[in-house]
Amino acid sequence: MGVPISSYLLVALILFSVGLFGALTKRNAIIVLLSIELMLNAVNINLVAFAKYGLYASITGQIFSLFNMTVAAAEVAVGIAILISLYRNKNTVQVDEMDTMKQ
Amino acid sequence: MGVKDIFQYNWSYLLPEFTILGFATLLSLIDLGLRKRSRAVLGWLALAGVILAGGFVLWNAQIHQEPFSYMNDMLRVDSFGNAFKLIFLGGVAFCLIMSQSYMKISDEVTHRGEYYYLMLTALLGAMVMASSADLITLFVGLELLSISSYILVGLRKKVLQSNESSFKYLVTGAISSAMILFGMSYVYGLTGSTNLYQISQRLGEAYTSGFSFLILLSFAFLVVGLSFKISTVPNYMWTPDVYQGAPTPITAFLTAVSKAAGFAIVIRLLLVCFVGLIDPNLYASASGGRVFFEKPTFFLSVIAALSMIFGNTLALRQTNVKRMMAYSGIAQAGYLLVPFVTLTQLFFEQTVFYLFAYLLMSFGAFAIIMAVSHDRKSEDLGSFAGLYHRSPLAAVAMTIFMLSLAGIPVTAGFFGKFYIFISAVAVHQYWLAAVMIGTSVISYYYYFGFIRQMYMRPGNTEAPLPLPKGVVFIVAVTAIATVVFGAAPELVTQYVHHHFNSGFDFGNLLVPSSES
Repeated sequence: MGVPISSYLLVALILFSVGLFGALTKRNAIIVLLSIELMLNAVNINLVAFAKYGLYASITGQIFSLFNMTVAAAEVAVGIAILISLYRNKNTVQVDEMDTMKQ
Repeated sequence: MGVKDIFQYNWSYLLPEFTILGFATLLSLIDLGLRKRSRAVLGWLALAGVILAGGFVLWNAQIHQEPFSYMNDMLRVDSFGNAFKLIFLGGVAFCLIMSQSYMKISDEVTHRGEYYYLMLTALLGAMVMASSADLITLFVGLELLSISSYILVGLRKKVLQSNESSFKYLVTGAISSAMILFGMSYVYGLTGSTNLYQISQRLGEAYTSGFSFLILLSFAFLVVGLSFKISTVPNYMWTPDVYQGAPTPITAFLTAVSKAAGFAIVIRLLLVCFVGLIDPNLYASASGGRVFFEKPTFFLSVIAALSMIFGNTLALRQTNVKRMMAYSGIAQAGYLLVPFVTLTQLFFEQTVFYLFAYLLMSFGAFAIIMAVSHDRKSEDLGSFAGLYHRSPLAAVAMTIFMLSLAGIPVTAGFFGKFYIFISAVAVHQYWLAAVMIGTSVISYYYYFGFIRQMYMRPGNTEAPLPLPKGVVFIVAVTAIATVVFGAAPELVTQYVHHHFNSGFDFGNLLVPSSES
């Protein structure tokens, strides 16, 4: 029968946690965006695993993961665009230097 | 279901959405052929589209009261969605009028065509969020709203603050949508469906067969993720920075429309999926085995209380008015979470009335803030000094908005808060009611700070404040409406009750009555 579902869920959970850690701690904005991608991909692993081994296995999970990929691509495209316009004004991609509004 | 069946639906109930989609497409095409300085026409066209869509929503609300479902609830036209759509459409209409004035007094937004049609796509996302009962479409609608607003926030391209706030908004937004999705993936795994009503049936079985921990975990993920959109406690840090950096009409849009959309998805998702859970081991307890009233309610009430406390106390030390309004918005979202904890029969009326009152007062306040801060070239609270001597009517209107935000009688904000407070007392959530009153008293300090500046401090100038026509229109409409609905709130609640409640299909999920 192969791999039990708990292994898939564990991989997804680890991937999600790595992504969350990276997104909250990394200083480089590109790495932050990449970490967010990790989180979204963890969700896709979950969905595809559930689509095959869930309590009620169904194809919907795979469809959902396709939607996720599309939306994630759009989100990162916008993120990079915003980052480029920020880079033009400030000449940095370090997250901790984005502090003009602290009070 | 085959391809043929798709054409057998009566698509006319989706006319509001199609109108907005059509106008957004039309605007982006017209934009290609326009000269640089003639973009104002796009704003008026967008406004025409919004008003047309509003007409269709009203027509939908009149002609059929039963929920109408497309493709197994992928889209669902019901009274709940219609009420929220009217709030969104009203907010965007105000926002478009305000934007026309903004474009006249400021040239920081260079891409004006994009500005207008991204606002329409954001509106479309909000409308999909309100009228869908399926995880996939809810998520797509949420992202359509979010991605459009990330760009809108950053449209002052040459202003560093705007770039920064846009990037922060995007990163927090993306993290929270990943959390929402993670929660959704567990919900899907336990139920094998993305349809909310099917989920609510199967989730109960999963709960009794030993998956209670996973269900509560997914609930926590969903709440933490969704708290970004409504800007409450675990995920509120972005609010002040984003509000400060965004163009002022967009700030108002985020305050009223985006937050209302967040509440729409919170109501749909959390209530439909989780309120029906029954734990047989708890039948004897006060909640009659309703799992939702055991743990999740407590979790939500802590979030609500912390939002009120943090929002109102952190607002005290702000000198930038937009940041202050941001913290005030966090506190308001905290008040709005109280009905979720109490869940009485009047839940829907309370939420819609508060959102409506909040829409009026925040658009009015932001319109005046926009006029004053562009005139004085400063967003500092001190720029309001002596406003009464410069423009008495603007000062009086601003006073009305501040009283309404603070919840002083004879304003719409008072009744919004009063209804919520009564419901908290009725279900014996005394500590939450106490936090609500206590933090409201704290909030008087900074709301009255505006009034003190306007009437009692001498300003640097006595010159009359130039008010663009659009600002005058918004301020007049919202100020009059705030007073009228403050004097006669039943105008709104009765209307909501008669036109939007008969098909309201959470009815059997709620607590029978508040007195029991």
